[in-house]
Amino acid sequence: MSDALRFEWARIRTIRSTYWLFGLGVLITAIIAGILAYVTRNDDKTGEVGSWVLLGGGEFATFIPIFVAIMGIFATGHEYRFGTIQPTLTTLPQRSALLLSKLLVVVAVAVAMVAVSLAINLGIAAIFWGEVPDLGSEPLNQVIPGYVVYIVLNAILGVALGQLFRGVPTAIVVLLVTPLIVETLVIGLSNVPALDWLIPAVKFLPFNAGARLIATTPANEAFGPDSAQYEIFERWAAGGVFAAFIAIILAVAWFLFQKRDA
Amino acid sequence: MITAQGLRKRYGDTVAVDDLTFEVKPGLVTGFLGPNGAGKSTTMRLMLGLDYGEGETQFDGRRFRDIHDPMNEIGAVLEARAFHPTRTARNHLRMLAAANRIPNSRVDEVLDLVGLSDVKAKKPKGFSLGMSQRLGLAQALLGDPQTLILDEPANGLDPHGIHWLRDVLKSLAAKGRTVFVSSHLLSEMQLMADELVVIGRGKMIFNGSVDQFVEQFTKSDVLVKTPSADAFAETLQASGAEVAVQDDGSLLVSGLETAAVGEIAHRDGILLHELATHRASLEQAFMSATGSTEQFIAHEVAEVLGEAPAPTTEDKETA
Repeated sequence: MSDALRFEWARIRTIRSTYWLFGLGVLITAIIAGILAYVTRNDDKTGEVGSWVLLGGGEFATFIPIFVAIMGIFATGHEYRFGTIQPTLTTLPQRSALLLSKLLVVVAVAVAMVAVSLAINLGIAAIFWGEVPDLGSEPLNQVIPGYVVYIVLNAILGVALGQLFRGVPTAIVVLLVTPLIVETLVIGLSNVPALDWLIPAVKFLPFNAGARLIATTPANEAFGPDSAQYEIFERWAAGGVFAAFIAIILAVAWFLFQKRDA
Repeated sequence: MITAQGLRKRYGDTVAVDDLTFEVKPGLVTGFLGPNGAGKSTTMRLMLGLDYGEGETQFDGRRFRDIHDPMNEIGAVLEARAFHPTRTARNHLRMLAAANRIPNSRVDEVLDLVGLSDVKAKKPKGFSLGMSQRLGLAQALLGDPQTLILDEPANGLDPHGIHWLRDVLKSLAAKGRTVFVSSHLLSEMQLMADELVVIGRGKMIFNGSVDQFVEQFTKSDVLVKTPSADAFAETLQASGAEVAVQDDGSLLVSGLETAAVGEIAHRDGILLHELATHRASLEQAFMSATGSTEQFIAHEVAEVLGEAPAPTTEDKETA
């Protein structure tokens, strides 16, 4: 296993995309955090406002989660896109150790990325506000750990999608299209009276459920005034839905990786 | 020593590799030949556990996937351009070295050995096929392995590169290493290989020495140059030989050994200017052995262009 970890650590350090995904994710988040800190400099520094700045957009902090997912897709998808799976498997024939090492290293980089981003955004808050947000206040004390879990899950999702589709383009399309089009469509259709049988399914839409991990609003207000009918799960239960979805994708990808020709 | 036993691979109804059993011995270069689509690459992938199928391959008694740090024992390259285009050549090798506890100093050694020292910090997306092959060979040699498995390593190499590759592989074999290499360059294989594994449509056609292969799939002729060609041709035909008169007047004799031809000439007092065994090439033997198993058969140029075939001498005479 240590051999596989050394390999994967060398792999992720020696491609440019790791650096631009890391740097761009942190930079964009910091810019948004700076704008939000500036425009709220005279407001009450509530936990909700604090989460906007620290996450660089609060509930809409999507850059780092998507960027770590893409980093995960590259970890597995590049092996097939560039044919490096052959030298990789003739160097490390133990497929489970290889996939596990990819997960661990991408997750480690994702955690480092979120830590750097939070530290920078904390500094930005201190600059514009003259004080730092109270990390123990509601909902920051839930949002920050939820943010870390959300990013870790996105990193795992990326690795799993890249491995499942054995390439980059399809995995990225699924990553972006599912939440933006498929899930939005299902939620929209559930408002049609004839299709109201979709309402119970909405709380199981994985990406919407995952986003609850960084939510600052209560679950029964997730989609506005009529949200109660959806019976959306609370933060950690909704995170469990997202995690279960990722676990299924990862299990299928792992099984196929073991069984399919390289 | 590589021992492949009962290798078999199916893609739906198509049998790509059909019950292949062979050994690759240390101290020799073993060539792996077959027409396009014969199953050479699939066989190598099966041997290395990249593809799943039936049968088993053992490397000194162990399966590939059971070998810890395999680069130190088996250097394998099946694809010339299997690298990330923006990872430098040196980083590509360092990444692989890291997985097998090979020191970074060895990376620079093998890059120097294959002649890529000057471009080690360059991204291989701009490498020619020949440079990519050299990087692949550097990868195979990284762990200074006892066994080498190379799929078409000479593709894209210039004549100097091919000569260099032959020297490297032969010298490694001379040191007791096991070298298993596929190639379509039959003239090169004739110079390089000691043993052959020849397959067609996934089936074994031949496994043995190069000389045996040529002997088995071609017939040797005797080349005779003499000022008394007509008379000697009649004498040889009377002795049961088949004689073909060449354009330069020399005789190509089949059905008699060289010594027998010489003895007849001596007996009849025929003056000989040249008497030599005319051996068929590996290419001729390969064409003879694999002709019926060729999967992708090209058409003649005239047929493709819809032209009538060029007139023969006979046609001209008739006209």
